[in-house]
Amino acid sequence: MKQAKILLLVVIALLPLTLVSCIPGSGQLAKGWAGTAVHDGIIYVGTVDGRVVAINSSTRNLEWSYSIAPVTAPSSGLSCGPTLAPTAIYGTPVVDRDIVYIGTYSGQVLALNILARSQNLTFPQQRYGEWKWDCPIDNARSNAIVADLLVSGDAIYVSSSNGRVYSLDKEFGDLNWESKILDEKHRKLWTSPVIPGDTLYVSTFDGHIYALSLETGGLLDWSFESEAGFASSPVIDEDTIFLGSFDRYLYAVKIGSDVPIWKFPQEKPAGNWFWASPIVNEGIVYAGCLDGKVYAIDAETGEELWQFESRDTLGKPVPIVSSPVLMDNLLIVADESGTVYVFDLSAELEDEAMPLKAISIGADVRGSFYAQEGLVYIRGEDNWIYVVDIDMGEVSWKVPLTIEE
Amino acid sequence: MSFLDVWYLIIGNPVLNVLIALSHLLSGSFGLAIVALTIIVRLISWPLTKRQLKSSKALQDMQPKMQELQKKYGKNQQKLQQETMKLYKEAGVNPLGCLWPMLVQFPIWIALYQAIIGALATTPENLLDLAHRLYSWDIVNQAIPLNSHFLWLNLGSQGDFILAIIVGGTMWVQQKMTQAPAVDPRQQSTSRMMLLMMPLMFGFITLMVPSGLALYWAVSNIIGIITQYFFTGGWGYLKFRSPSQSTQ
Repeated sequence: MKQAKILLLVVIALLPLTLVSCIPGSGQLAKGWAGTAVHDGIIYVGTVDGRVVAINSSTRNLEWSYSIAPVTAPSSGLSCGPTLAPTAIYGTPVVDRDIVYIGTYSGQVLALNILARSQNLTFPQQRYGEWKWDCPIDNARSNAIVADLLVSGDAIYVSSSNGRVYSLDKEFGDLNWESKILDEKHRKLWTSPVIPGDTLYVSTFDGHIYALSLETGGLLDWSFESEAGFASSPVIDEDTIFLGSFDRYLYAVKIGSDVPIWKFPQEKPAGNWFWASPIVNEGIVYAGCLDGKVYAIDAETGEELWQFESRDTLGKPVPIVSSPVLMDNLLIVADESGTVYVFDLSAELEDEAMPLKAISIGADVRGSFYAQEGLVYIRGEDNWIYVVDIDMGEVSWKVPLTIEE
Repeated sequence: MSFLDVWYLIIGNPVLNVLIALSHLLSGSFGLAIVALTIIVRLISWPLTKRQLKSSKALQDMQPKMQELQKKYGKNQQKLQQETMKLYKEAGVNPLGCLWPMLVQFPIWIALYQAIIGALATTPENLLDLAHRLYSWDIVNQAIPLNSHFLWLNLGSQGDFILAIIVGGTMWVQQKMTQAPAVDPRQQSTSRMMLLMMPLMFGFITLMVPSGLALYWAVSNIIGIITQYFFTGGWGYLKFRSPSQSTQ
């Protein structure tokens, strides 16, 4: 009786711990969804095992790879201590001349020299222009860099999970300036800044668009405030900012104005968030939504021109997480399940548009992708690179990102 | 439909969405939303709690009779146990009845744990996954993303010692108020150990789960102490001395 009671109590006490350790949806580990960049025939991408790799698109061989130091992952449930995990990469590498810039979830910005990396020299090689910058945590929960880096002029602009935007000298990685904390409530700046001229614009999870001086990082007079937080990075066309919100609307905001020009959809909200940044071309905004639809919207009026709904084989909508990409007169959209849709924008598209082609890569897609000369370069969530040939309407070739030199 | 789909449909997603909606209604405070949800859960489980409290009160009232039995059959343990069980049966008391409200709350704990991880969206993956679990209520979507700070706590982080002490301490008080002291001196050490084990275990577990879940436990315990105090008209066994102690 005595032993049974003790056993019962131990089981009851341990049960919640055991359950929370095993239940799905309780994972807190950041895995990353890095996008692809292509420069001079080389594909640059971050991998799920915390490396930046360069793959020759002609030979399909690995040119070089650089392993970022692993991070200490928080313990959870029954695991009794922290463990080492690969550094997650969410951003797309930015290639500027012979340097590849990348931001990491461990809060670092790395400038990797292509020549130094191909010789596998110790990082950083200052004589090759390599550097590493550690983002301060600044009393925040994290200094993670989730958004894409922005390279403009002689500087790199970094949004950090500590709530600040940083400007770094592109050549040496020195800090030019840091902004004030832009989102005191969440501290997370997971959206990329945009620079249309001499001003930097950035959106926040607490529903603001801020304008910052490029010289000092100081806040300029104008800012915009919405009731809901902004999910996507801003995109600017002329003097209008387009961005998606958590309230399931896409906003068009004239710089200098306190009220949006329009919100899309005009009647009731969309089926889910506008997570991906829209793109603007010739007066039309193309926006992917997590409700599985791609919308073409008149940039001036906010009226819907056409829409397309991505569905799986069971007829269930498939979210669109990645931003659409334009290649000549083709609009390329990838849904989360890895189907690439190609729309011919020179053709007359009906209200319910039909894609020119639909090509499945057979792997989930969350990161941004690159399109050039009839080829689309996509990193699948299975850690492979897929190259889709639009003319052929199929995956031309693919290569695992675990390949060795 | 898999078990997981059913789980999310019936428990996981309702808890998540109610929690986020409460957060929006309570000035965007996720901590207050957890407190409000705790009160709601305690209200829903009130019939079970009431039964447990009645049991506890009955046990308290039975103490003089138990002491008599102890005096009478103290040397015959088998007889003492038989008579004690008989007394429990006559009074309609189940000494382990206090466990039922706790067992009923297990699914809520799991759903709450998932909801805290999901709603606070510590990682970009969590935030993106959250989009698929939200209802189309404006009140829910306008509340996202949530603020994880409440008092001194980061509700998505683990390892808060103050909260661990509060959880353990309140659990001990609540148990001490309801747990009848063992009549048999040989069972007293077991009883004391059991009284300590649960608070210690939960205090330890608090260090390993997000503070939001531990906040739920702490508030739940405090509500338990208050209802126990008013229902049984006092601190129960918290001030009670066991028969062996009182005879010394």
